[in-house]
Amino acid sequence: MRGHHLQTLNLRKEYPGTVALNGVSVDFEGGRVHALIGKNGAGKSTLVKIFAGSVQPTGGTILIDGEPVELRSPSDAFAKGIATVYQEMSLVPEMTVAENIFLGRWPRRKGLLRSMVDWRGIAEAAQAVLDGMQVSLDLCANVGDLGMAQQQIVEIAKAMSFNPSVIMLDEPTSALARHETENLFRLIRQLAAKGVAVIYITHRLQELSQVADTVTVLRDGNCVGTIDIGAATPETVAHMMFGGVAQAVRPADLQAGTEPVMQVRGLGQPGKFHDVNFELRKGEVLGIAGMLGSGRTELLRAIFGVDPCETGEIVLDGEAFRPTTPAGMKALGLAFTPENRKEHGLVQELSTRANVCLASLDRIATAGFMTALRERAVVLPIMDRLAVKVPDIEHAVASLSGGNQQKVVVAKWLNTEPCVILFDEPTRGIDVQAKQHIFKIMWDLSRQGISCIFVSSELEELVEVCHRILIMKHGTITGEVFPESISVEDLVVRCMDA
Amino acid sequence: MTENKNTSERVSLVYALAPLRKYMLEFVLLVVCLFLAFRAPGFFTRDNLLLVLLNVSMQGVIAFGMTMVIISGEIDLSVGSAVAFGGCITAWMTGLLAAHGLPLVCAIPAAVLASLAVGFAIGCATGFLRTRFNVPTFIATLAWMTVLKGASELITNGFPLTPFPQWYSFLGSGYVFGIPFPAIIFLAVFCVIQILMSFTAFGRSIYAVGGNAEAARISGIKVGRVKILVMGTVALLTAFSGVMQSAQIMSGSATTGQGWELDVISAVIIGGTSLMGGAGTVWGTFIGVVFLGVLLNGMTLMNISEYWQHVVRGALILAAVLINLAPSRKK
Repeated sequence: MRGHHLQTLNLRKEYPGTVALNGVSVDFEGGRVHALIGKNGAGKSTLVKIFAGSVQPTGGTILIDGEPVELRSPSDAFAKGIATVYQEMSLVPEMTVAENIFLGRWPRRKGLLRSMVDWRGIAEAAQAVLDGMQVSLDLCANVGDLGMAQQQIVEIAKAMSFNPSVIMLDEPTSALARHETENLFRLIRQLAAKGVAVIYITHRLQELSQVADTVTVLRDGNCVGTIDIGAATPETVAHMMFGGVAQAVRPADLQAGTEPVMQVRGLGQPGKFHDVNFELRKGEVLGIAGMLGSGRTELLRAIFGVDPCETGEIVLDGEAFRPTTPAGMKALGLAFTPENRKEHGLVQELSTRANVCLASLDRIATAGFMTALRERAVVLPIMDRLAVKVPDIEHAVASLSGGNQQKVVVAKWLNTEPCVILFDEPTRGIDVQAKQHIFKIMWDLSRQGISCIFVSSELEELVEVCHRILIMKHGTITGEVFPESISVEDLVVRCMDA
Repeated sequence: MTENKNTSERVSLVYALAPLRKYMLEFVLLVVCLFLAFRAPGFFTRDNLLLVLLNVSMQGVIAFGMTMVIISGEIDLSVGSAVAFGGCITAWMTGLLAAHGLPLVCAIPAAVLASLAVGFAIGCATGFLRTRFNVPTFIATLAWMTVLKGASELITNGFPLTPFPQWYSFLGSGYVFGIPFPAIIFLAVFCVIQILMSFTAFGRSIYAVGGNAEAARISGIKVGRVKILVMGTVALLTAFSGVMQSAQIMSGSATTGQGWELDVISAVIIGGTSLMGGAGTVWGTFIGVVFLGVLLNGMTLMNISEYWQHVVRGALILAAVLINLAPSRKK
C-alpha cells in the first residue's frame, strides 16, 4: 500500500466571538504516527472535528493525497478515507465482535435470500480485517464481555474495515491500564507500517516517545510547529505548549495556616493509586498536578467516599479512619465538586434553587419540613456571594452556562459549611472569566480558613492559584513544589518524566 | 427574512401557549366536565359527583404513592395483587384473633395494623433488593405480583373470608358529613403526599434521586434509604387501600384489585409524571385520577359500552405521554 497524505492549508474556523483555528497548516504523511497535542482550548478538538466531517471550516483547504476535498459530514469523511476512533465507545455490547466491526453494513446473501445477512461472509471479512491488523480476537465473543482494551481494538478494527487512508485516535488510552496501552501502541505502529497516516490525539505527554514519530503542537488556534520525536524532549514540548505565556500570580494577602486540617496516610485503591500521603493545612489551596490517568480523580473520589479505597486512612480532627460514604464524609466537613459536573454534580431537571439546597437539605429543613421561601433565603445570599448570574433561580439548572453550573455546584457545597473542599477539574469547559471567578472563590475560601484541594489538567492554573502543588504520577505522589519557585514549563516536565 | 419572521412568530406562539400547556390537563378536565354536565343525564348532581370521588378513591390513594415511586425512578407492578393481599390478611387475621376469643373491636384494629405492617415490610424489601443487590423494581414487583396473588389464594383457600361485623363496612362505604369515608382518605392522602413532596427534605431527595441518582449520592443523600422508604410508602398505601376494599365488599377476597397496577400507573402518567423519573407532581396525579374517574362515569351515564371505555382509556395514556414528551423531543 502506498503512503497516504493528509494536509491542511491555512485552515480557519471562526465561531461567533472566537477564533478556534487561526490559519492552521499541517501535514500528516502516511506511514507515520503523528501526535497532536495542545492544552484545552488550543484548537485540537476543532481540528479533529473538521477532519471527522462533523464541523465545517470557515476558510482554508484540506487536501488528501494532494487533492482538495470537502468533508461535508461524518459519513462523507469516512467515504473519503478518514476514519475516527473516539474515546467514547460506539459499540453494541450485546453483539459479537464480527457483527460490531460491520455494524449496519452487514454483507447480504445472494439471490432469493438477499434480504438475509450472510453470517459466514461477516465472519470471513471480520477475520480478514483482524488478520490485517495482526491481532487475534474471538469473533463470536460478545463485545460486552471483552475488556476495555479489547473493545478498543474492536473499535479500531471497525474503523480499519473502511480501508481508511487516515485514522484518527482521540485519547485512545484514557480508559486503559498501563500494560494494555503497550499492546495498543504496537497495533498503532502496525497500522502506520501499512501506509496509513495515524493521527494520535493525547493529553498524556509521557506517551509521546512510545508511540509517535512526529509531534504537532497547537496553541491558541495556531500551529506552533511539528517536530520529530527525536527532538521532542519534555522541555521542548512544554515550551511549545506553554512558552511565552505570562504567568499569573495569586493575590499577595493569601496566607496558608500551619496546622493541618486533614492528613492522608497510605491511601490506596488497587490499579488506581497507592500509598498516597500528604497533609492539608488550614486555609491552604493545595494543587495536585498530574497527567490524565495519574490517578488524581480517583484519589479525590476515594477521599470523599464516592468509591471505596482498600488501604490507608485519613485523619480529620485528630481521628483516623477509612473514608466511608459521601454522606458520611459530608457530615465530617468535606465537600466535593466532581469532574463531571453535568452528570455527577447537578440534577439537571431540578431548579437552581433545588440544586443549591441539595447537599444541605438537613440544615435547611426544620424537623424535615422546608418551604421555597426558606430555601430562597438561603440560596439568594450565596448566589450573590459567588456572583452567579441566573435569570431565575426557579428555572431548571440545565439552562445555565458551564461556568454558572460550576458555581451552582460550589454554592451547593458552601451551604454545608465545609472545612475542606475537593475541586476536581472545576474549570473544565468554562470560559476565561468564569475561571477567574472560580479562582477568586477559592482564594476567598482560603481567607476564611477553608482549605481546598484543586485538581486540574491545566497546570498553569495550578501555578496561578495554589499555595503548594503535589505532583502525582502513576498513582502516587512523587513530589512537592511551590509556585513561587517553579515555572509552568518546569512543572509540565516534572509531570511527564518517567 | 420570512423564515425568521415565521420562527419568531412561532416562538411567541409557543410562549403564549405555555401556560395553557402547563394546565392542559386541568383545562381538558374542565371541558369534559362541562360537556358531561350538558350531555350526560345526572352527571352534574351532588350524588353522582360524590360517587365519582368514591369510585376513584381506592385506586387514587395508591396513585399518590405510585407518583413518589415513579418520580424516584422506580416502578411498582405489584399493587393490584397487594390490594387483594392486604384485604385477605386483614380478614384472615380478624378471623384468627376472633377464634382465639379476642373481641372484634380489638381484633379488627390489630388485623388492620398487621396488614399495613406486612405491606410496608414487603415494599421495603423491594427497595432493599433494589439498593443492595441491584434487582430492578420492575422485576422484583413483577415477582411480588405473582407471589402475593398466590399468597392471597392460599390464605383464603379460594373462597372469600367473611369474618367482618356490619360496622366494619364504614371503612369502605361509610359517610362522614355526607362524604364517603374512602373519599376523605383519598383527599387526606393527597394532602399528606403533596406536603411530603413539596415541603420536606425527604420529598426533595426523592426528586433528586429520580433525576440523577449518582449526583444525589455525591451530594451526600442516602439514595438507598430514599428508595427503600418510597417503595415502603406505596406498599403501605396499597395495603390500606386493600383494607378499605375489603370493607366495601365485606370480605377478604383474592380476586380484588386485578389489573389495578395499570389503572394506577395510567393515572400517574396522565397526570404528567415522567416515567424516566425526576419530574412530576402530586397535583397532576390528583387531576389524572379524577379525570379518569369522570371519563368512565360520564361514559357509563351516556350508555357507552364498557369495551369503548377500555379503548378510550388506552388512547388517553398514549396522548398524555405524547404531550409530556413533546418539549424534550426537540432536543
